[in-house]
Amino acid sequence: MSGNVVPSPCSTTCLCGFLDPPFKLRLQTLHLQKVVTANLKIESLNWGAFQQEHFMPDYAVDMMNIKAFTLVSAVERELLMGDRDHISIECVECCGRNLYVGTNDCFIYHFLLEEKAMPTGTATFIATKQLHRHLGFKKPVNELCAASALNRLLVLCDNSITLVNMLNLEPVPSGARIKGATTFAVNENPVNGDPFCVEVCIISVKRRTVQMFLVYEDRVQIVKEVSTTEQPLAVAVDGYFLCLALTTQYIILNYSTGFSQDLFPYCSEEKPPIVKRIGRQEFLLAGPGGLGMFATVAGISQRAPVHWSENVIGAAVCFPYVIALDDEFITVHSMLDQQQKQTLPFKEGHILQDFEGRVIVATSKGVYILVPLPLEKQIQDLLANRRVEEALVLAKGARRNIPKEKFQVMYRRILQQAGFIQFAQLQFLEAKELFRSSQLDVRELISLYPFLLPTSSSFTRSHPPLHEYADLNQLTQGDQEKMAKCKRFLMSYLNEIRSTEVANGYKEDIDTALLKLYAEADHDSLLDLLVTENSCLLTDSAAWLEKHKKYFALGLLYHYNKQDASAVQLWVNIVNGDIQDSTRSDLYEYIVDFLTYCLDQELVWTHADWLLQKSQEVGVQVFTKRPLDEQQQTSFNPDDIISCLKKYPKALVKYLEHLVIDRRLQKEEYHTHLALLYLEEVLRQRAPTGGKDVEATETQAKLRRLLQKSDLYRVHLLKEKIQGAGLPMESAILHGKLGEHEKALHILVHEMGDFSAAEDYCLWSSEGQDAACRQRLFHTLLAMYLRAGPSAHDLTVAAVDLLNHHAREFDATQVLQLLPDTWSVQLLCPFLTGAMRDSIHARRTTQVALGLAKSENLIYMYDKMKLKGSAIWLSEKKLCQLCQNPFGEPVFVRYPNGGLVHTHCAASRHTNPSSPSPGTRT
Amino acid sequence: MRKPDGKIVLLGDMNVGKTSLLQRYMERRFPDTVSTVGGAFYLKQWRSFNISIWDTAGREQFHGLGSMYCRGAAAIILTYDVNNPQSLFELEDRFLGLTETANNDCLFAIVGNKVDLTTERGPEGGEKDQASGKTGSCVSSKVPKQVHPEDAMALYKKILKYKMLDEREMPGAEQMCFETSAKTGHNVDLLFETLFDLVVPMITRQKAEESSPIVDITICKAPKQTRSGCCA
Ligand SMILES: Nc1nc2c(ncn2[C@@H]2O[C@H](COP(=O)(O)OP(=O)(O)O)[C@@H](O)[C@H]2O)c(=O)[nH]1
Ligand SMILES: [Mg+2]
Repeated sequence: MSGNVVPSPCSTTCLCGFLDPPFKLRLQTLHLQKVVTANLKIESLNWGAFQQEHFMPDYAVDMMNIKAFTLVSAVERELLMGDRDHISIECVECCGRNLYVGTNDCFIYHFLLEEKAMPTGTATFIATKQLHRHLGFKKPVNELCAASALNRLLVLCDNSITLVNMLNLEPVPSGARIKGATTFAVNENPVNGDPFCVEVCIISVKRRTVQMFLVYEDRVQIVKEVSTTEQPLAVAVDGYFLCLALTTQYIILNYSTGFSQDLFPYCSEEKPPIVKRIGRQEFLLAGPGGLGMFATVAGISQRAPVHWSENVIGAAVCFPYVIALDDEFITVHSMLDQQQKQTLPFKEGHILQDFEGRVIVATSKGVYILVPLPLEKQIQDLLANRRVEEALVLAKGARRNIPKEKFQVMYRRILQQAGFIQFAQLQFLEAKELFRSSQLDVRELISLYPFLLPTSSSFTRSHPPLHEYADLNQLTQGDQEKMAKCKRFLMSYLNEIRSTEVANGYKEDIDTALLKLYAEADHDSLLDLLVTENSCLLTDSAAWLEKHKKYFALGLLYHYNKQDASAVQLWVNIVNGDIQDSTRSDLYEYIVDFLTYCLDQELVWTHADWLLQKSQEVGVQVFTKRPLDEQQQTSFNPDDIISCLKKYPKALVKYLEHLVIDRRLQKEEYHTHLALLYLEEVLRQRAPTGGKDVEATETQAKLRRLLQKSDLYRVHLLKEKIQGAGLPMESAILHGKLGEHEKALHILVHEMGDFSAAEDYCLWSSEGQDAACRQRLFHTLLAMYLRAGPSAHDLTVAAVDLLNHHAREFDATQVLQLLPDTWSVQLLCPFLTGAMRDSIHARRTTQVALGLAKSENLIYMYDKMKLKGSAIWLSEKKLCQLCQNPFGEPVFVRYPNGGLVHTHCAASRHTNPSSPSPGTRT
Repeated sequence: MRKPDGKIVLLGDMNVGKTSLLQRYMERRFPDTVSTVGGAFYLKQWRSFNISIWDTAGREQFHGLGSMYCRGAAAIILTYDVNNPQSLFELEDRFLGLTETANNDCLFAIVGNKVDLTTERGPEGGEKDQASGKTGSCVSSKVPKQVHPEDAMALYKKILKYKMLDEREMPGAEQMCFETSAKTGHNVDLLFETLFDLVVPMITRQKAEESSPIVDITICKAPKQTRSGCCA
């Protein structure tokens, strides 16, 4: 067997372990001639590389084979024939523990087989002879077949099939037999439902004839005779289908319908055919060129052929293997991949048959059993040789031969082992698929990577181990690139499975490992992991992040674990430059944002000064940008904040703006405070230039807006402050607030000469008031313009403009009386047209309203008429609904529902509530 | 074992490159092949179907197996070597006869392989130029093409006639005649995938017919009866 021909790689390496590389080299060359030339050239090269590339072929030679069977002796020569050399074995049959042997001198031997497990794991067999019987002819026993349900042995001898008792080998008393058979086959997929009957097909001594028989305990019955186009030589049966080797070709013949299908030609003169049923509706045939061909009853091939030697004389099947016998070897091919798996030297064999999974070979002198190695052992051997594909094919193929539960456990484990083999070869896609489909406890994989599993993890690797590696260092032999690849793989794998079912129960281990990988690789996903739902273990992760200086991430981890104080402190330290981590360039803004949404007031106060010192404008956002709903519940007290912000004027302004403008707090202090702060700022800005007509600055605009819009600030206080500051506009506004419109307008018109501001004034200070108020303001302004007389030309123009632009704000009749007679209609055209329009418009709207009211009235009248309108006939047949008496006079009362009553009844009803209501009566 | 839904068979003289074509397609490589013994097959998942592709042995010795392999085939790829006119003749002489057992509506593709060895360029030569450019050293050994696409197309039309298939109902010769190189991969995917796409509807139709007890007479084509009589 292979092991003897080529030394196993293992033994080679063991030897090598003691020697220096050059010696190893020579040792190798002894084993494998092929590499000799290569070796000589390569001697100067790096030994490690050499070992990898050239050691493998040596391995590969051994890889061709697998040990699927061992050959053990079952019946020794002495047991059968002693020293009578002329006796030879013609046929064998095995049924359960019964082994039958037919000889050329017409004897049948019966043995009992006893299987003994050896300590080495392989089985041995001991056969004890029960009895032997002579059949009474001078002919050899050609074929034996047991029908255990009938307790009969079918014996073909001298062209006749007799039935003998399986135990005592006595012929059945009835003498039933099938005559004229050259060979026969039992249908293992019977069509007849009777369990106490076997179906037998014989090739008849009659030319070109096959016959079907039913064989019972002590009788036989012919069912069908079919003739063939050529002389049949061998037959196998499945259901209604006969697979026949004719003289020049194989065919499938349906004996029920007579339909025959050619398979392929062969030459029976060159070598005898083989026809072997291998399973439901499938046969194995000896084809040309030493091929083992598969064919189904439909006449097609569903498996590729196996390649035997040219002179195969027998074939058997022991799933998943096809075994063939020639004069020197037993060869084993897998039906799953058609590869040759094993070769066993075996001389002078002439019988190879399988009996319910037991494979027996025989020479003319002795009987042997091919004992299959347990499939699991075979699979493990393949895995040990990294023949993953084959191992998986074999495992899958074994599914139907192993109980389901056992299979699933075994198969899962094999997939996992295979996964690790692929993984070790960096075949990550394949590995992943294997891990996934085998539902690998992912910690097995994580545990390969040093330090990734949390120290608290209770995980221990499965035993026996799924692979041979201590850790990744050993697996990659320190190759950094490979190591990095492995890490990348684990990253993507963990990321993929962390939210799937596989992760259940180990979420902490997975997420912590993932965090460590991300941190180490400086991977962006680290942050994503930490800001979303995760199960990273705090202590382990914190230590790791610190080690890798991922302080920002560490902060996130603290935050996730509700330790915001530590988180913020850490970030503050980064901003201050006490520790280095450049993850975020906008970390300060991040902290502001963080604290803005932080519910912990204490924490906000702790860092408020730091934040404001960094930037008043941005820092103050922790107060101004807080979410509103939060403000209502656990709100900060604005006064606390204001006193805190005393030192930070810019921040204070922003905060007050927030209170007054954004939140519209109606509190006098805030409004006054803000106005004063604006004013201070305005005054400070004005100080250096001192000029009067400086454009209004931004602050000034804000101030004006506040003074205009707010009604809460202390007007007198501000007036005091403004006094003499040269802020006429502001004073005007303040006057306005006090209702001193004359004064305000006077300032605007006469001090500032700003007519448009005066117009604006009229508009804004009447905002929210009634139209009369506004009209009053405009009239006041107009009067002011006109009072100056025609000499003040610009005021006249302003007056005209005012009228023309705001025609609607005036009472035209009043205005017309005020205007000097000298003004032309032309000049006031827009005003007049506007006034006319308005007047006409007012008239028309009134007319429309009037019309509508009238028509509404009409509708009501109509309804009323309808109610009153219809004529009522009064006759003696009509009775009062209340008193049930006829009406004597043409006077009555009618209710809206049509009921008629006497006037007096109606009157009394009102005084007598107990009387029935007429409404309910009808 | 998964049961294939449809079968495609590669036929052709030995050494034309059948095994190489299959390996190029299935394994994306061009390894040294050993002469195929008997036959081999691959399962290819295409959409939701399993298609088995059989590689056969071109050697005379295994010729007898061809009919069995072709039984029930949905498509047959007849392969020749563009540098070997004899290999094209063999298709008609030896291999066509084996296809009798295939499905009635079996498709035929005719494939001239090893175009990388020729100097002549097909109309779609651009891609091939690049591919062969890499193997620069071969340039000097190139010879003019011995078999032209027109010869293959003529054979294709002849096959349709033999099989009494309606030319209008079968895919055209331009679609079903390919020139390939297993070595460079030129047209290899195109060949197999064109066939898969043509075979899949046939499988679906077949399945529908099997499952429905009603026979749709428009699908069953006339040639069924006349054919065997003619070519027997
Ligand atoms: N240059 C070239 N050689 C090829 C090509 N296809 C196959 N061969 C070679 O032709 C020989 C026969 O190929 P093989 O696939 O075994 O042919 P088969 O007998 O039809 O299966 C092998 O040496 C291949 O390397 C091709 O496209 N170009
Ligand atoms: Mg081949």
